[in-house]
Amino acid sequence: MADSKRINKEDTGRLLDEWSKEFSVSVPSRENGMPAMLPWDGKDTSFLEWYRNTVIPPKANFFPPYEKMFDFQKGAEGYHLELPPSDKQKQLIFGIRPCDARALTILDTVFQDTYQDPYYLSRRANTVLVGLGCTNPYDSCFCTSLGISPGESTDVDLMFTDTGDGFFIEPVSDKGRELLAATGGLEDGLEADEARAKDVKEAAYRKITRRIDTGDIQQRLAACFENQDYWEKVAAKCVSCGICTFLCPTCYCFDINDELSQDEGTRFRSWDSCSFPIYTRMPMENPRQEKWRRVRQKVCHKYWFYPVNLDITACTGCGRCIRLCPVNWDITQTLNNLPASS
Amino acid sequence: MTTDVSQRFLARDNVYLPHIAVIEKIIDETPGVVTLHFNFKDEKLREEFTFKPGQFGEYSVFGIGEATFCISSSPTRRDHLEFAVQRVGKVTNALHRLDVGSEMGFRGPYGNGFPLDSFAGKNLVFVAGGIGLAPLRSLIWNVIDDRDKYEKIDIVYGARSPADLCFKYDLDAWGNDSSINMVTTVDKGDASWTGREGFVPQVLEQAAPSARNAVAIVCGPPIMIRFTFPVLEKLGFTPEQMFTTLEKRMKCGIGKCGRCNIGNLYVCRDGPVFSFAQIKGFISSEY
Ligand SMILES: Cc1cc2nc3c(=O)[nH]c(=O)nc-3n(C[C@H](O)[C@H](O)[C@H](O)COP(=O)(O)OP(=O)(O)OC[C@H]3O[C@@H](n4cnc5c(N)ncnc54)[C@H](O)[C@@H]3O)c2cc1C
Ligand code: SF4
Ligand code: SF4
Ligand code: FES
Repeated sequence: MADSKRINKEDTGRLLDEWSKEFSVSVPSRENGMPAMLPWDGKDTSFLEWYRNTVIPPKANFFPPYEKMFDFQKGAEGYHLELPPSDKQKQLIFGIRPCDARALTILDTVFQDTYQDPYYLSRRANTVLVGLGCTNPYDSCFCTSLGISPGESTDVDLMFTDTGDGFFIEPVSDKGRELLAATGGLEDGLEADEARAKDVKEAAYRKITRRIDTGDIQQRLAACFENQDYWEKVAAKCVSCGICTFLCPTCYCFDINDELSQDEGTRFRSWDSCSFPIYTRMPMENPRQEKWRRVRQKVCHKYWFYPVNLDITACTGCGRCIRLCPVNWDITQTLNNLPASS
Repeated sequence: MTTDVSQRFLARDNVYLPHIAVIEKIIDETPGVVTLHFNFKDEKLREEFTFKPGQFGEYSVFGIGEATFCISSSPTRRDHLEFAVQRVGKVTNALHRLDVGSEMGFRGPYGNGFPLDSFAGKNLVFVAGGIGLAPLRSLIWNVIDDRDKYEKIDIVYGARSPADLCFKYDLDAWGNDSSINMVTTVDKGDASWTGREGFVPQVLEQAAPSARNAVAIVCGPPIMIRFTFPVLEKLGFTPEQMFTTLEKRMKCGIGKCGRCNIGNLYVCRDGPVFSFAQIKGFISSEY
């Protein structure tokens, strides 16, 4: 196939090495306990064996859990504000899953809407995404219901497909095409590789059996929005820990605070969550004091409010909120059992 | 969305980076409220900065944090900018501790502001309680400085007690302006109070401004707003003729941090000014 390439798996380290000359390369890593996309140590490619998906979504590489916005210092001339040095280092993320790459496309919309978010967008502009198709999805995955195919992506720059002892490599964007052209040591893709890759992609697609019904979802959510009984039932077991939102690849809520002293310190932002009552608390009232209102907000935001504003559903079906919830809350059950009315 | 962001004043292209502003004057309004006058340190910004009544900013006390306040002065009076702060917590307490000459941070203006153009040629009825007069006084002074464009002006303003009346210098000025029908009331007077007593909605009902060719702009504590709308409806105001500004917990002020939404609307970006018709159309009672 035109512009496609192939590589044997044992050469993956060499390829990452070559890319490391130009990029800071991140790969799936368990170094900090929870799997995340972390800087490659220059040798370990064992993730090729254990990696299914990360726990910490790749949004953290663009919108970290804690981020310095600027430093301030009070001197004789008054306050001086200093932005963090802009990170000119080009990044490459190797192995991002199609769902998580879609999540970045989703986040791009809110971080560009009306006002540009300089922190997120500068990292995005600086980063090449190398996707790796799923061969072994979790049973909590339901990406196919959101129009995502676990083996394919239009949201990455380059796409890798596991063909057994090697990878079939396809450029997706111009950025990917350029990178591929500049990368040495790759053989041209063979027709046999392409055929094999097609089978792998189709097999992965068939492995996703969990589904949600997205037909008329906005209207159906609107119809039962005031159905307090339903939302109370749905929210009953939630313990408001916030895990489903922190680890959701499309959740982006944040808090802004200062630390140190009034003479010198840092303004930072940190992940926040609509699961917490304090998130919306005001002196006299709190619009989402009750848990069912917060759970309703989370679901309706993803499937109704966000698409109304930004034309894209804010869920990729990655299944993290199902697998990682301590009490087995399940967004697919919530969506599939929506009552017809209030 | 219809947000007008043609006026962006970004420090070094970073929307989160505040401009440095200097406090020029402090006025004690009530025991818990001060008005701060300020100007930007950057002279170019001082010249170019524009805003609309009803818009707000994010104000920083560095090391303490940021909080949201409307700009309470009028865009027609550009010698300096003003905002009024009720002491309720961390940042508001820190703002109360600032002195003349202190520096703070400012990001803005944010939000939609009042639809001033659509008020031209109309009778205007302003109804405010307590510190709720802050966003309205920006609008009222703007209207006064463009007096010919508008018809009759009614102002009903109230506070819990005489000591809780904000902007007394304005109340006097408007009271002395023969082109304005001004009523000031307190829930309960004290020994020296000779003015009106009674809750704002009741006083409004007695003042009974006509709804013909009029709009009403209401701002105050939630309870006052709740009781004022029915009175206005009784006076013949339609939901399209009634406006208010909503308050939600805010952080970013620009539709990103997520917390100020009512359904798909973000109060920071799509508000904070809404007509009662819009509010009636909200999907949720979570406001
Ligand atoms: C659009 C808008 C305009 C406003 N204009 C004014 C104004 O002109 N003058 C004025 O005094 N106040 C105004 N407020 C309210 C003001 O923003 C809060 O009182 C202030 O942020 C509290 O900050 P704090 O750090 O002192 O409080 P905190 O220490 O953070 O908290 C104290 C209490 O205030 C609540 N709170 C915190 N932030 C907000 C917030 N943004 N809105 C409402 N409650 C909050 C907290 O939940 C808590 O109950 C406005 C709010 C909004 C949304
Ligand atoms: S992870 Fe589960 S328990 Fe925690 S907030 Fe989400 S739904 Fe609730
Ligand atoms: S809501 Fe759940 S399934 Fe959807 S993107 Fe977020 S974590 Fe993944
Ligand atoms: S204040 Fe952040 S979204 Fe409105």
